[in-house]
Amino acid sequence: MSAAVQGRISIRDAGVVFDAEGGAVEAVRKVSMDVEPGQFVSIIGPSGCGKSTLLNMVAGFVQPSMGEVRVDGAAIKGPGSDRGVVFQQYSLFPWLTVRKNVEFGLKMRGVPASNREPAARTLLGLAGLLAFANHYPDQLSGGMKQRVGIVRALATNPQVLLMDEPFGALDSQTRVVMQEILTNMWQQFRISVLFVTHDIEEAIFLSDKIYVMTARPGRIKAEIMVPLSRPRTPEMTSSLPFMDMVQRLKALIREESLAAMGSELKDGGLTGFSVEVGREGVESML
Amino acid sequence: MHALKQVFVPGAPEPSDPSEVAPAVEAPPQPSPAEMEAAPPLLAAAPGARLLRALRANALSMVLWAVSIALLIAVWYLGTKYKVEAYIRFTNIPTPAEVLQRLVEVNQSPRFMTHIGISVRRILIGFGIATVIAVPLGLLIGRYKPMRDLLLPVCEVLRPIPAIAWVPMSIMLWPNNEASIVFITFLGSFFPILLNTIHGVHSIDSVLIRAAQCLGAKEPALLWHVVLPGAMPHIFTGLAVGMGVAWVSLIAAEMISGQFGVGYFTWEAYSLVNYAEIVLGMITIGVLGLVCSGVIRAASRGAMPWLAYSSTGKR
Repeated sequence: MSAAVQGRISIRDAGVVFDAEGGAVEAVRKVSMDVEPGQFVSIIGPSGCGKSTLLNMVAGFVQPSMGEVRVDGAAIKGPGSDRGVVFQQYSLFPWLTVRKNVEFGLKMRGVPASNREPAARTLLGLAGLLAFANHYPDQLSGGMKQRVGIVRALATNPQVLLMDEPFGALDSQTRVVMQEILTNMWQQFRISVLFVTHDIEEAIFLSDKIYVMTARPGRIKAEIMVPLSRPRTPEMTSSLPFMDMVQRLKALIREESLAAMGSELKDGGLTGFSVEVGREGVESML
Repeated sequence: MHALKQVFVPGAPEPSDPSEVAPAVEAPPQPSPAEMEAAPPLLAAAPGARLLRALRANALSMVLWAVSIALLIAVWYLGTKYKVEAYIRFTNIPTPAEVLQRLVEVNQSPRFMTHIGISVRRILIGFGIATVIAVPLGLLIGRYKPMRDLLLPVCEVLRPIPAIAWVPMSIMLWPNNEASIVFITFLGSFFPILLNTIHGVHSIDSVLIRAAQCLGAKEPALLWHVVLPGAMPHIFTGLAVGMGVAWVSLIAAEMISGQFGVGYFTWEAYSLVNYAEIVLGMITIGVLGLVCSGVIRAASRGAMPWLAYSSTGKR
């Protein structure tokens, strides 16, 4: 839609400390990262590493305890329609039809109904859901719901799109197709995307750049550029560079998962367990 | 369902994986109205057959319903016919035929209809005012903690007092009888509506609120476009319960202090030893209550069409 001159996310030395029962919990420590305008950036890391917290900071749901988070130079004060968000849980309004869901952001902006409808139809066409415009969300499958969620977030023409494990609740076949749909949509919109996932292949297939996070408190362990060309095609997932990246990222995350499990297991007195879990065990937990 | 393939993302590579079609096929459990309209002639011929099938499927249910009602009337009929006296006494109870005859007689003058009209008017006013106050109040209390802290203690103190216990106070409080009866009706329906509305607000998935905020919804819009519809299923539960309690309260108030209304009609019949009218009054109250809850059910279906597809929000 817009030429990619806007949509720069910059996080500088951001830290987040939550007040929890039994004292403060440090979720994120001194994280700095950048999403250039029009770039697709993923964050991966072991579960509980604070990657969703990072995204929630950009979305405006969580205030950084230290450091700063800016979008196009402006500090974030709260949630707003300049940053579209796609949630892991289905977040469509069940009382609105698919089309009305997509129109919601425009309606909040005061766009008259006569202009909202064609915009919603265009987006639904793009997501292959025009035939379901007048259905209610409860009539759709999980994959369809998430596609509506994506175009709903895009409807207000945001500068950045924040996606928090959007395909996490889908079965693996649907996931793969959703990844293709997303990469194709991104190819058209060229919007900055910050994408949180724990799926290594998903991150590589979609992203220009991947940040790997450490176990809690979450820090940036590695920043890796994806060498694959655009547009991405499913065939690339069996290419050599892709496979290499998968191995590299798996190794990075395995270290962190073991570290995370090690610190948990020490308290429980199960020393040695982390060694016996081995390759399969840890990876199945990722 | 084959149409799904045609609406695929333009420009996207044809999915090598059939999975994307699979979830779509399982998606709509029932054909939507839109699909019915667009359906080929093959399906268009179906409605007649479908109705027949539905009738056949429900035939047993309908027979059982009829049997259930017939049983009640049979017990009543036999009890009164043979003047059964076995601890409970049917001696003074009018027969179904007497009541039916009374119904015809009573309708020869406008008196009976006036009683009904007055009761219904009291319900509409009392219940209406309760709805108009309790729903917005419930939304505010549910959404804003200061409102909750300010208003909930008052509600918690007043709530356990049954509306009927307010009758003497109400007579003192209000300038005339009519206002005091409407007030009792209002009180009866107010708390169920309020509490269910608050509960409805709390039951809204927080991700919906966050999603709305990300789409630019500010507080007033959020209340109107997200909190209200989100709480709607519970609000309608509150309305249904409130309507029931409103009738209980109204009849009691009319029996105690009324001059008109179905409750008064029933109590007057007892005072005048007019047994047939007692039963007629009771049945009338039952039918009116049934009609009112039917209206609320119909309204809830009309106001919340999406619940027809929801797996969790079934009425």
